[in-house]
Amino acid sequence: MNLIPIEYYLILSAFMFAVGVTGVLIRKNAIVVFMCIELMLNSGNLALVAFSSYMGSSAGQIFVFFVMTVAAAEAAVGLAIIIAIFRNKLTVNIDEINIFKW
Amino acid sequence: MTSADLYYLMPLIIIAGASVVMLLVIGFYRDHTVTFILSILGLAGAFISLAYIRGLPREIGALVIVDSYALFYWGLITLASLAVAILSYGYFSKMEEEKEEYYVLLLTATLGSLVLVVSRNFVSFFMGLEILSVSLYALVAYLPERKRSVEAGIKYLVLAAASSAFLLFGMALVYAESGTMDFLKLGAHLNSGAVNTPLILAGFALMVIAVGFKLALAPFHMWTPDVYEGAPAPVTAFVATVSKGGMFALWFRFFTEVNGYRFNSLMILFTVIAIASMFIGNFLALLQNNVKRILAYSSIAHLGYLLIAFLAGGRMGLEAGTFYLVAYFITTLGTFGIVTVLSFKERDADSLDDYRALYWRRPLLATAFTAMLMSLAGIPLTAGFVGKFYLAAAGVNTALWLPVIILVINSAISVYYYLKIVVVMYRSPEEEVVAGMPVMTVSPALSVGGGIVLSVLTIMLVWFGTFPGGIIDFIKIMISGISSTAITMVP
Amino acid sequence: MPFEIILFVFFALIAAVSSVVMVTRPNPVMSAIFLVINFFALAGLYLLLHAQFISVVQVIVYAGAIMVLFLFVLMLLNSKSEQKLLSGQKKIKVFAIVLAAFVFIQIAYLIFFSSPSRSLSPDVAASIKAGTVEEIGRQLYTGYILPFEAAGFLLLAATIGALVLAKKKFN
Repeated sequence: MNLIPIEYYLILSAFMFAVGVTGVLIRKNAIVVFMCIELMLNSGNLALVAFSSYMGSSAGQIFVFFVMTVAAAEAAVGLAIIIAIFRNKLTVNIDEINIFKW
Repeated sequence: MTSADLYYLMPLIIIAGASVVMLLVIGFYRDHTVTFILSILGLAGAFISLAYIRGLPREIGALVIVDSYALFYWGLITLASLAVAILSYGYFSKMEEEKEEYYVLLLTATLGSLVLVVSRNFVSFFMGLEILSVSLYALVAYLPERKRSVEAGIKYLVLAAASSAFLLFGMALVYAESGTMDFLKLGAHLNSGAVNTPLILAGFALMVIAVGFKLALAPFHMWTPDVYEGAPAPVTAFVATVSKGGMFALWFRFFTEVNGYRFNSLMILFTVIAIASMFIGNFLALLQNNVKRILAYSSIAHLGYLLIAFLAGGRMGLEAGTFYLVAYFITTLGTFGIVTVLSFKERDADSLDDYRALYWRRPLLATAFTAMLMSLAGIPLTAGFVGKFYLAAAGVNTALWLPVIILVINSAISVYYYLKIVVVMYRSPEEEVVAGMPVMTVSPALSVGGGIVLSVLTIMLVWFGTFPGGIIDFIKIMISGISSTAITMVP
Repeated sequence: MPFEIILFVFFALIAAVSSVVMVTRPNPVMSAIFLVINFFALAGLYLLLHAQFISVVQVIVYAGAIMVLFLFVLMLLNSKSEQKLLSGQKKIKVFAIVLAAFVFIQIAYLIFFSSPSRSLSPDVAASIKAGTVEEIGRQLYTGYILPFEAAGFLLLAATIGALVLAKKKFN
């Protein structure tokens, strides 16, 4: 672990974050947008765990533990809303919901 | 965290306990009134317990600090959600879906906002924000049969989840650079570190995105009109007041303890956001004719005004911001309360036609709505005017000329679209017959609770407008208790 | 010690490639599968960082629970794959990629060329201790007890919200 400088972990997490942002903007299917948001949260987790282990304190890892409960809660409510939309005979494509209407 | 600490967390425990008790009661006997009464008892109990908390400031573990500043915001948030609960009783008694869970979600959302106010560490900041947001996701989409409500729910959820991912990544960068998650230690690190590396600035910038989203400030306000229009009216009142109040209280505490005022690049960013919010809020409101969308854009503009107090910083800025927030709470709860009271079973009263010749149908309601709109516009003798005056004083005190001038210009612009609603209300019914409009559109009966809340709000509005001395001194005493070293440095 | 570097490169490559493939697959089920692979790669990286508890919880909670929920809803809604994934409005695609590239280069520059004010001399013993279940468990129930209880209420609010929204209305 002392061979791998910490910058590599941060670069990977920054890369995954950027990919997540692109996914949220590009994809139309609401469920895939949620997956991209999970990816963004995971990139934050990676940076937190990397620093918490390099610094030898467990604060970052406990924060990651809480982020996981938050991600689970968000996924549950998000998918419930998607089912409610699907049941109203609406589509699951975000664009029909024209997210950026003025 | 000793047992004595639990005494200081009394309001949180009472609200949390009330929501669990309500769940149990719903399990046995599903009745709207019983659940409503339990939620009122829980919120009122939490508010009363505030009086018994002595010996502030008190740190509980490394994450939470209860000081008189937090106590004031606890009281403000509990009263606001109490008003929203009473207003939503009349609103939901017309619906036939299961309406009992609404109150449980309302209490957990209030709990999230209360945790936000007292947090002093990234962990409790993130947890408080997420409890508030997750409860709001379900509240915004609470009536799944209404197409717009579910559409608003998904929109709010996607954008809120993305903004909390940005917040998390910003926190990770700040933690990476400073090594601590605690506001005070972070402030100490910044003071000691001679070269403050740009990584922390990048972290702060990413966090500003999430805060900007939650406060619905300019570049991150896209969701506001659609969610305000789509969500049920009492939920809109809740989103516009409690969720913004909690986040503002926290962000002010964070910025003063970390003394973010030293990064002038961040201050320029906030100035630009404040000015953009004011202009976008006012100009786009001019184009709307849906009452809820007008109020949504006006709330964006008002948060832009509030940012002036944040930019001023220091004790004066904090007092001006807190007073303005109190005035903003009263007027927003009032206006959305009136929209709630006038709403029908299948849709909310958000088109201007519902308010046509309202004065002749509902004189009291029309005068209350006029008083609220006057306060939003900042006409003297209302709390809104005193709030804006206080803001301008705080801004001038720290030489923020540009934002204050823009505040004045925007207040002038805003008078137009507030009066547009008032004019519609006072049009005489005879005219309508000529225009072939059905004059007396039947609006639903006014529930007792709704009437009481609206009258109390109007009385407070005029009282704070004419005799602001009392509340300002009370705010001064409570705010002076903010336990942070940084505030003494800034004048 | 090069074995560790090989492991790191192996997991990092999988994580990076799977996240890109996840975003570009038109079929949502394929995206979900690649996201699961990404989570496993991350779990491997956490093990490299001595964060044992977090890597196991990552596999259980993320790959095990959340992704199963995603796949379940995907099956329930049998949503078709977006045929015209990349053809759609060109400008939003280009704008998104440019924005993301800008965000990435910005942060990468900062990470590499900013002189961190503290040189991180990783002492292996402390970081191993920090990652164990005992340490996290003790911290969770002493210092972080309030967020722990708050997380309970967060999950309570989420379950009620999910139930209220997705429950079949039997009227």
